[in-house]
Amino acid sequence: MTETMVRLEAVEKSYGAVHALAPTSLEIARGEFLTLLGPSGSGKTTILNLISGSVAATGGKIWIGGRDVTHLPSNRRELGMVFQNYALMPHMSVFENIGFPLRVRQYSEAEIRKKVHEVLEVIRLEGYANRKPKELSGGQQQRVAIARCLVYNPDLILMDEPLGALDKKLRDQLQLEIRRIHRTLGVTLLYVTHDQSEALVLSDRICLMNSGKVEQIGTPDELYFRPRTVFAADFLGDSNILDVSVVSNGKQAKLTTRSGFQIEGVQTSLSAPVAKVMIRPESLIVAEDGNKEPNTLTGLVEDITLAGGVVDIQVRLDNAETINVRRLTTRDFRATERGRPITLRVQPSDVVVLE
Amino acid sequence: MAAMGKRTLKRPSLAEHWFPALGIVAAIFGYVFLVLPSLIVIPMSFGTGSELVFPPRSYSLELYRQYFQESTWMAVTGQSVKVGLATMAVSLVFGFSAAYGISRTNFRGKGLLTVFLLSPMFMPHIAMALAMYLYLSRLGLVGTTFGLVAAHTLVTVPFVIVTAFAGLRYVDRNLELAAATMGAGRLRIIWKVVLPLIVPSIIVASLFAFLLSFDEVVISYFISSVQSETLPVKMYSSIHWEISPVLAAISSLLTVLSFGACVAMSLLQRNDQ
Repeated sequence: MTETMVRLEAVEKSYGAVHALAPTSLEIARGEFLTLLGPSGSGKTTILNLISGSVAATGGKIWIGGRDVTHLPSNRRELGMVFQNYALMPHMSVFENIGFPLRVRQYSEAEIRKKVHEVLEVIRLEGYANRKPKELSGGQQQRVAIARCLVYNPDLILMDEPLGALDKKLRDQLQLEIRRIHRTLGVTLLYVTHDQSEALVLSDRICLMNSGKVEQIGTPDELYFRPRTVFAADFLGDSNILDVSVVSNGKQAKLTTRSGFQIEGVQTSLSAPVAKVMIRPESLIVAEDGNKEPNTLTGLVEDITLAGGVVDIQVRLDNAETINVRRLTTRDFRATERGRPITLRVQPSDVVVLE
Repeated sequence: MAAMGKRTLKRPSLAEHWFPALGIVAAIFGYVFLVLPSLIVIPMSFGTGSELVFPPRSYSLELYRQYFQESTWMAVTGQSVKVGLATMAVSLVFGFSAAYGISRTNFRGKGLLTVFLLSPMFMPHIAMALAMYLYLSRLGLVGTTFGLVAAHTLVTVPFVIVTAFAGLRYVDRNLELAAATMGAGRLRIIWKVVLPLIVPSIIVASLFAFLLSFDEVVISYFISSVQSETLPVKMYSSIHWEISPVLAAISSLLTVLSFGACVAMSLLQRNDQ
């Protein structure tokens, strides 16, 4: 069922002594939407360039659609590519741009006309065949660029920060459009972005990159709820990262924060005496004052901000640590005043021990 | 805060005020001084009779008629056009290939190669003329049209390369990568993507190459023979034997040709941006 479309085998790239990409192995299944996520310089664009063939690997092998393409030029790798700056041919009409890969493949004039109009329908730009790219908006140009990939059904479509040049509203629109296209046509997609929310919305799996290495790879849920490292916990979503000391029996642990609070019943196989743990702001529950159940933390409200649908509360715990709490906005949220004592409760299952 | 007062910009000093104006006056004077003599030829070309005078005593198209009717003038003009077109074609192919190759690859000694290819620009024409004469005579090509085209190409190629570099800089590399991922080979990318986008540079480079060759006198004088004589060479030698008033008509035509080409080039370069 899950056929491998792309396989990287210990692929690496270095420029002299600088490692742009440590030896990396990665597989993308047919029809999968994989996102390379990471800050700039993390190696995500290097992977993209290695797969597109615009940069030669210094080691390892690259397979696309069952063929070893490591030493093939870009034009024989059966790829499609979408760029941040659209890269439409300015001297060609929309029709000619989308027809270009078909002409390369020597389709007949009638077939080209049929296929281009089919794909124009998919991206909902039926009436625009004779326009020049510069007569279209940024969002429309990017849709044409996507159509230009869809029309010849390549093994893999690469997208390099395709929404980076668009404003927020268009970005959200096109995000949904890309998701719809991926779901209805089942194309295999490798998507590069530094925007974690874009990655969470779109991807089947996310490959988180950090300083030339894969930090963690998994579904959006796995990366969000079970980040393995501090970097992963910090990069995706908002998080509280606390230093704790650990008393463990091999399966469950009792954690003590620097501020002296104890959290019992945390699942971990880690046996180190100290560790860092992550708690998402939205998994902290504001409890009634003075409720002394286990796994509670107390402190003072330091700040409270209305961020639309949610309210962010900054709490200073009894010994100087601050922790962020997120609640849904209610009309009476101002009742939680600055300087007031507050009690927080946490579920042991929401505490993630990091490496 | 208010007590500190607000500093206003100093008024420009007298020197600052007058300096640009002086510069403009000097420039105008310089241009007039240099350009006027070549423009004087134009009214002179409409004179009559058999001597060059300014202002002409009466006006006619006699000198133009002489130029167009005399078969020797027509023959050398034809030769110049032939050499100019051939030089243009050869230097376009060489120049654009070199510029494309250099701008799209990285290799050791790239800078050095570029300087080497552009070096004829910095060579005195007389030195090049002598060198070409000695070299072509070894090959038995002195006095041939082929030899002239080869020598002229040496002069024009650097200008074509510079123009091509400028044009290629504005071609987005991602367009070429996009075309490549879509399956297009190098030749198709050059033909369908790169060349259509640099048409203005190609036209500018063509005009440049043609005019440089059409105008070239030093090298042509060295390596042309009576059979392969070009228009400027014939003009130069005819000054020695008889100061024919026809020269005024030819000069005027050449001035108009060059001026028209310059206007065309600057219009194209403006459209390019």
